[in-house]
Amino acid sequence: MFTPSSKYFVGLTGIALVSAILYMFLINPSDLGAIALFGVAASSALVAGFTLFTRDGDAFTDEEAVAAATYAPGASIWPIVFALGAALVLTGLATVPVVFILGIGVLFGAGLEWTIQNWSQRASADTAFNSFVRERAIGALEYPGLAAVGLGVIAYLFSRVFLSLSKDAGTIFFIVVAAVIFAIGFLIAFKPAMRGKATVLIAVAGAVALLVIGGIAALSGERHELAVASEEDHYSAEHRECEVEKSEHYDHHANNQVSLRSAVTATIFVEDGKLRAQAIGIKKDIDTITIPRSLGTTVIFRNLDETEHRLVVNLGSHTVAETGVKEKVGTCTQLTGKKQEQALTLTIPKPATPEEPYFFEVPGIEGEIKLVVP
Amino acid sequence: MDTVNNVKSSRRRFSTTVAGLTGLLFLAGCATNAPQDTWQAKGPNAQKISDLQWIVFPIAGVVGVLVLALAGYIMFKYRDKGQPIPTQGHGKPTAEIILTIVPALILTVVGVFTFRAIFELAKTEDTEMIINVTGQQWWWEYDYPVQTELGINTPIISSGQLVMPVGTKVLLRETSRDVIHSYWIPALNGKKDAVPGRIHLLRLEADKPGIFAGQCTEFCGLSHANMRMEAVALSKEDFAKWVANQQKAYTSPADGTLAKEGETVFLNQCVRCHQVNGLKKADGTPALAAPDENVYSGAAPNLSHLMSRNTFAGAMFDLLRKNCRSDVWDATSEEFGAKYLAGVSESCLNQTDLRAWLRNAPAMKPMYADPTKLTKTGGKYRGMPNLGLTEDDIDKLVAYLLTLK
Repeated sequence: MFTPSSKYFVGLTGIALVSAILYMFLINPSDLGAIALFGVAASSALVAGFTLFTRDGDAFTDEEAVAAATYAPGASIWPIVFALGAALVLTGLATVPVVFILGIGVLFGAGLEWTIQNWSQRASADTAFNSFVRERAIGALEYPGLAAVGLGVIAYLFSRVFLSLSKDAGTIFFIVVAAVIFAIGFLIAFKPAMRGKATVLIAVAGAVALLVIGGIAALSGERHELAVASEEDHYSAEHRECEVEKSEHYDHHANNQVSLRSAVTATIFVEDGKLRAQAIGIKKDIDTITIPRSLGTTVIFRNLDETEHRLVVNLGSHTVAETGVKEKVGTCTQLTGKKQEQALTLTIPKPATPEEPYFFEVPGIEGEIKLVVP
Repeated sequence: MDTVNNVKSSRRRFSTTVAGLTGLLFLAGCATNAPQDTWQAKGPNAQKISDLQWIVFPIAGVVGVLVLALAGYIMFKYRDKGQPIPTQGHGKPTAEIILTIVPALILTVVGVFTFRAIFELAKTEDTEMIINVTGQQWWWEYDYPVQTELGINTPIISSGQLVMPVGTKVLLRETSRDVIHSYWIPALNGKKDAVPGRIHLLRLEADKPGIFAGQCTEFCGLSHANMRMEAVALSKEDFAKWVANQQKAYTSPADGTLAKEGETVFLNQCVRCHQVNGLKKADGTPALAAPDENVYSGAAPNLSHLMSRNTFAGAMFDLLRKNCRSDVWDATSEEFGAKYLAGVSESCLNQTDLRAWLRNAPAMKPMYADPTKLTKTGGKYRGMPNLGLTEDDIDKLVAYLLTLK
């Protein structure tokens, strides 16, 4: 009953209608996007009607009619997938770019598959041979492509789950899922009777479960504190809080481990309420650290005291042009716990002046380590 | 018969010529004036490398000559003379085993000596002095952190020439501001890369006072071949004098002199990139250079006490005229310290090169200084640009720079 072209336009109409309804409920009922999607649905429906009425406008000769009847193509999902891609593109134009990009990807993939399928079906009268040439033409792309997409979807869904769960729940979820996968794999490997349909059943069930859980997690969003931190930009340099007290946000999840792949010019210690520093190659403690100008240099802060401390580096002050107010310039580590360490990488373009020297200090601890930039 | 004799005679002449040329080439390697000769160690670290070379080189040489000679002999003896192809065998296991074991044994002997040298050269626990070395296109910066036991009470910064005391285990902490460079003073030790974001350690120690030449040995751009350095070893007393001089306060030239006018030119032009510690602006505030705003790698040579050094422009050019330079370079160990510490006087200044540099630095040393091509570096220069100074400005600047002792 439905001609090939009409199937495409009917599919497009359906997708556009569904998108429009979803858009109205999820985003904004009176937005231009909803209007655009309804417009697409209406125009597609019109064209679907035309193509149905004119039977795609095709006029077959007798021979062509026989040939078409003989070589009638089999069922194909690609038209509908192509239509889905088109709908995603239109939806993405009205919503978020990621949906648009996804739509382009689907359009490209479906277009390629549909073209190859059409070509292979007309290659000969032998359907087995046609399948063979189709496989040869596109097999090398299909499997890796599907695998990449599949893995990407799995990774994305897992990530949504972990972002929405709390730290402890996420750990338990991960352990349980890993254990289940391991157990199933073990059973399949050692129980040959379980292979075949059972494997397929388990795989499908797993995929559905992941889709459902991942989808729910994605819709529910990140857990609260991550969302707030991201929104308020808590970890940026502008929000460093370098006082002696613990900061609610800046010191949250202080990174108490240091990767020492970057070479370190000096290490500053707090021990027994005193401040001291050591540099590579110098046997004694030093009270001055020299850092070359405009060169990113790392200093490690190691807290050997009982209480938490942070290292602060004072780099003089500058006058704000708009207000004429002098503001302190500097930076600091997060609060560091007992026997833990943090790193500061400093790039200082100008030397200090005698009026405003540079120095390291630890709030609450007497003493300072001079910082010289020649 | 005559033809055969002629052929033999021409072959003999050809062989003699080839042998003669090869000999000459070999002898050319025995130059006496080779300041970067790795066989002329002037310190214990370089001596360890040289000692290792003396073991490995003859072994490798003998093996190499044997292999080449044998290969040549076989190629000649069994060359194609139309004879049938000999029967093909499946190898001789005894020969193959011997030919595996013998090289392995030779390599083991070489390896033992090599590893021992490597670990000895990597020792740093007994360091007596630290110098931070920073490579930048295309010069080397040296800063001496505070080390009160050596009289260094305030940090010293210099470039081009690394000054160190004799008989002292000096540890260089090398890094780079831009690309990878490599520090190499053959007379004192091997090479060590200066890598951005990392600190690599290299030990230097000189047995006697003198100047030791070196150069960058990791390709680093347009003027890699011109990125040189010198290590200057002074006796401990002379080094203390050098340190005291480097820590002397800046003295502004007297008013009304050409040098004073040169100070003004310096403040207007050169301070954009070059720092002279203690130099003050007209309003009395410190004149702080801003190379981070003008130079891609963020720094330019500090010119404090410039005339206490012998070189400039990344040690590419001498500040001393030829005869004065020879006087310093060829001085005996006993005289060297005094001659070096005398610095550069007006009569000894290499005015030609210094003026040419001030006139148009990029013409003297390739440095990507074309202002129309600076988009990749955000408008910043990689080296010194052409400042368009007048001859009058140059006269004043030279007079001023001479006061920086």
